[in-house]
Amino acid sequence: MNRFNFPDLGIGVGLRTVHFKHILGSQPDVDWFEALSENYMDTGGRPRYVLEKVAERYPIVLHGVSLSIGGTDPLDFDYLRKLKALARSVNARWISDHLCWTGVSGRNVHDLLPMPYNAESLRHTAERVKIVSDFLETPLVVENPSSYVEFTTSTMTEWDFLAELAAESDCGLLLDVNNIYVSSFNHSFDPNVYVDAIPADRVVQVHLAGHQNHGTHIIDTHNDFVIDEVWSLYGRACARIGDVSTLMEWDADIPDFETVHAEARKAEAFRGSRESGVGGRSDGLDQREPTTDNRQPDEAEVAYAAV
Amino acid sequence: MPLSDAETGSRESGVGGRSKNLDLRPTIFSDPRPPTPDPRSEVVLGALQEWMQSVVTHHGDVYEAAEEASIGVETVILPSATLQPIQRVGIYHSMYMLRMIEALGVDYGALANILGEETFEELVRAYVLRFPSRSYTLNRLGDALPEFIATSKLLKGRVFLRDLASLELAMTQVFDEAETEPLPGDAVSSIAPEQIAGARIVPIPALRLVSADYDVNEAFQAWREERAIKPRRGKTWIAVHRRDYGVFRMTLTREAFAFLGFLIAGETIGSAITMFHRRFRRLPEQNELFTWFRDWSAAGLFAAIEVD
Repeated sequence: MNRFNFPDLGIGVGLRTVHFKHILGSQPDVDWFEALSENYMDTGGRPRYVLEKVAERYPIVLHGVSLSIGGTDPLDFDYLRKLKALARSVNARWISDHLCWTGVSGRNVHDLLPMPYNAESLRHTAERVKIVSDFLETPLVVENPSSYVEFTTSTMTEWDFLAELAAESDCGLLLDVNNIYVSSFNHSFDPNVYVDAIPADRVVQVHLAGHQNHGTHIIDTHNDFVIDEVWSLYGRACARIGDVSTLMEWDADIPDFETVHAEARKAEAFRGSRESGVGGRSDGLDQREPTTDNRQPDEAEVAYAAV
Repeated sequence: MPLSDAETGSRESGVGGRSKNLDLRPTIFSDPRPPTPDPRSEVVLGALQEWMQSVVTHHGDVYEAAEEASIGVETVILPSATLQPIQRVGIYHSMYMLRMIEALGVDYGALANILGEETFEELVRAYVLRFPSRSYTLNRLGDALPEFIATSKLLKGRVFLRDLASLELAMTQVFDEAETEPLPGDAVSSIAPEQIAGARIVPIPALRLVSADYDVNEAFQAWREERAIKPRRGKTWIAVHRRDYGVFRMTLTREAFAFLGFLIAGETIGSAITMFHRRFRRLPEQNELFTWFRDWSAAGLFAAIEVD
């Protein structure tokens, strides 16, 4: 269990428009769904209707792409207000977004643009994470992005940056093992080192997805099955973290729902594999005060639902 | 007769993107350089983000973007084992425009179809240069496209293209509007006779009126049915509305369009009749009013009646 007592929801699937009819009609046996926040914040149409129907039956987690937590523009409190209202209306179990920025000077590039990993970025991002978590009245959960560049101004690795960010801002982590693999290929690092360095008690959720390997680089396309190397990383993460809410993302060339769900269910083979004594870090980081929120899972959910 | 278009379109704003057409010029291989405790340059975060955005969103290719940028690429980006800094930032550059084209292609499917891939991409490139996204959602990226087309010198047949885009914009707006329970079909006819003139009809939010110089309703339907789109000149009036989460297009007469427009603008039924008289030099006939209100009520266009 993570230090926030966010529950292990099991194995979930990203909620996508092409599957709406199937999900409403068949009510498949899925543990939970993750919805892309921005697709439901500004609409009163069918997507919002479907999300609310799905939320009546399944746990929902909100996952954003436009918070721009690392951006240097001021935080958008109109966006945050709408996000908070949406979270309340669907009883979102938690809210996540990416360690990235999405635009400056009032513009939005609609991409998860990478951060330089240095003291300035860390201070800046940690401060914003704290503000957002306070505003949302729930710890923000931050996901490691895929990236295609490294900056000359970086002075630390991404995994060290994430660990320090989590400690500094008391946020949760969404560990995307496909993103770790993609970035490890693009930046020539050992993905196992990354997985081993992440503070296990901060990890609230794991993402799985497919990608496109162009030989010289990998693009995080979410358009295919999960490759064996990523499953292996997932297994390594499960062994360190324990069973954790796991979600399959499929965003392009999306096959039928059962295919996506079957791919997600492959995660079952790796769950329940936590090695005794390996959940903590040898450097003692996991020995800090165990939690900042001692509420039981049900209490935490109820409290958040009442926000 | 109303033409129905139960909405099935995908308007998701996922950010996964594919890289295509990226010019991977001959690569000079170099060893990856892991971060060191001392930065290799002193570019502060704000300046770095301004620089990267200017390169990623540049309308030319990434090499032109880098030439015009205030900071040299090598000052900011490290090489990888296989790619030079310019190639690495080029991945983001190529994905940016693909994302804009894809987003507008979803909202303006018929327009994209009639323009063809190449011309539509040119249009999008020019459009986002002038109207870049300033919202957290891509759903409203195309709000100024009809207006942009109307003034664009890039295109032939601008009036038809503007009209078609206006119809598609109305459909996306209606798609996203708040859901409201419509009035029962007999609600208008149940207003007491002495209260009719002062009654105000409140429309549902998911309603837009579109007037066009071309029959864009037929053009849009042709696209939906995978027939060839043939621009046909002719004044057209359309009410675009949503019912049971489906988007519908209802063709109207010029008179019905005007009268419904007066009601939507907040006029009472009495003042709408007066304005109609001013416009058409006649009063609406009783059977006209009866038919209009019957059809509009049946379509669920009204949310409430306010009686003084």
